[in-house]
Amino acid sequence: MAYLTLSNISKQFANSFAVEDFNLDIEKGEFVSFLGPSGCGKTTTLRMVAGFEIPTAGKITINDVDVTNNAPNQRNVGMIFQAYALFPNMTVAQNIGFGLRIRKEAESAVKERVQEMISLINLEKHADKYPYQLSGGQQQRVALARALANRPQVLLLDEPLSALDAKIRVSLRAEIRAIQKRLGITAIFVTHDQEEALSISDRIVVMYEGKVEQVGTPFEIYNFPKTQFVANFVGSLNTAEAEVIDPSKGLLSLGGMQLDSAEKMDDLRKGDKVHIAIRPERFSFASEQKKANVVDCIIENITFLGSVVRIQVMIGKTKFNMDTFNNPFLELPHIGEKTQVTCSREAVLILGSV
Amino acid sequence: MNFLTRIRKFPFWSWVWFIFGALYFLVPLYATLRHSLRMERDVIGFKAYVRAFEDSNFWETFLLSNMLAVATIVASVILIVPTAYWIRLRVPEARRITEFITLLPFVIPAIILVFGLIRIYSSPIGIPFTNIDLLQPLTTSKLGTYALITAGYMVLAMPYMYRSVDTGMRTVDIRTLTEAAQSLGAGWFTIVTQVILPNIRSALLSGALLTFAIVVGEVTLASFLGVDAFGPYLFLIGQHRAYEPAALSFVTFLLTWAALGVIQLVTGEQGQGAGAH
Repeated sequence: MAYLTLSNISKQFANSFAVEDFNLDIEKGEFVSFLGPSGCGKTTTLRMVAGFEIPTAGKITINDVDVTNNAPNQRNVGMIFQAYALFPNMTVAQNIGFGLRIRKEAESAVKERVQEMISLINLEKHADKYPYQLSGGQQQRVALARALANRPQVLLLDEPLSALDAKIRVSLRAEIRAIQKRLGITAIFVTHDQEEALSISDRIVVMYEGKVEQVGTPFEIYNFPKTQFVANFVGSLNTAEAEVIDPSKGLLSLGGMQLDSAEKMDDLRKGDKVHIAIRPERFSFASEQKKANVVDCIIENITFLGSVVRIQVMIGKTKFNMDTFNNPFLELPHIGEKTQVTCSREAVLILGSV
Repeated sequence: MNFLTRIRKFPFWSWVWFIFGALYFLVPLYATLRHSLRMERDVIGFKAYVRAFEDSNFWETFLLSNMLAVATIVASVILIVPTAYWIRLRVPEARRITEFITLLPFVIPAIILVFGLIRIYSSPIGIPFTNIDLLQPLTTSKLGTYALITAGYMVLAMPYMYRSVDTGMRTVDIRTLTEAAQSLGAGWFTIVTQVILPNIRSALLSGALLTFAIVVGEVTLASFLGVDAFGPYLFLIGQHRAYEPAALSFVTFLLTWAALGVIQLVTGEQGQGAGAH
């Protein structure tokens, strides 16, 4: 039995479903991210785990205990908010010790735990400061320490890095992950930032319009998207319509040119139209020896993006992006030049029938 | 910068209106002070103040009004803080209705309120069609009358108290703070007393001081309910004496100023804290 289970969870507001038939099992110590665009139901799901929303249907269990209808203060779940939510009238130490004092733990034990948490977030010198005297990153670290001080069963993070600048965001997410691993705490992280989700998670739940699109490791989500939404939402992706030529051999036709795919086509027949997807970084210029999956193209545009150079090519009547790593000796083609590009058969993903 | 540029940059009209406004407040105040110091012919002194403070009725009524003011403030906080909090948190759509209700004391005069109170609470309140009394007449006992007048004062102070508290709650993200406290195991009482109240304390203090000023100077309710409060006392000596009312008015003004100073002090401290999240 998983440590945290969400079984057939639905949440209805007025006539529309914010979350519909959501199922997920999370193991102890796992770090799971809910990823999706605004309004996809990720925060609502998190709030149901926290107890701030009661599901319209379904069941939530933590460590085999049904908490579906428990009040938030009876769940022992730690929560970190985007807006930090530190109590402005309390110092860093008082904020961290708040939950422990609510539990009426002995003052000596509270002080010891507060000290331990302050050391964990490296804010020893700031223990007596008020939240307004700290930077955003420091405030969010205090919020993390405050949530962890109670030794929660599950740690919930609701877009905790969204209000921070880019550099702090990267360093703090690494810090959060390191602390989570060190303490072995089960965590759910809500974000709309794919890079954040890919870099921090054990597993990612991609959500769209209240439903789960795909659950998988960051590697699986990025490399093997199961739906068109996941393919488009996670990373940049080229999508096009192709025709099945031979399903048993995985052969497709793209604008009259033959493409070979490693994907299974058991339920497809010759002549079926399908959506295919190829990541920009999976393309490369074809060498003379390469014969399979070589297609003719015209260079449309070249954009320098720092570490990457993005080349837009026209294959048949479809525009594709191709990413190649920048190096000072890179020989780039000219705009309007006719050339050939290629990709491995594993790079050609089939997202479903048209 | 030449002289003409300086002249053009000088905010002439702003200063004119500022000085005009300042005179509007300061001239009557100065006149009151000057009048209160001239009780004895051709002598400037504090005799009116001494006479006013020597009157035992002054101290008795002043003390009673202070106690009623404190009772009103405490009862108002107990009633209004959780109400405003709950409305903001759970039923924001009820805010318009609540705001309308809190404005009613501006529309309904105190005389109507006091007659309504006397009409209802001067006879026993019972269960209809039975002989069972739920509440004995309040106006027949001192304690009952004090309870009644406190309730009346709460109504009169409601627009100020509610607005102060509501404005205070608008400046802090009470929803997120509430949820943060809940996730840490806090119940409603703890949240209100340890998280919400400390973060709206300057707003609360403003409301409390306005309530205090209203109660201490109130005449209508106290007169009709027969309570020997400071308002009717001031009204009475204003009719019979010339200098003591001016002295007491000036002292009251100084007390108000001191109170505003306290608000400024507390607000200044909290102003920094309020920007914390």
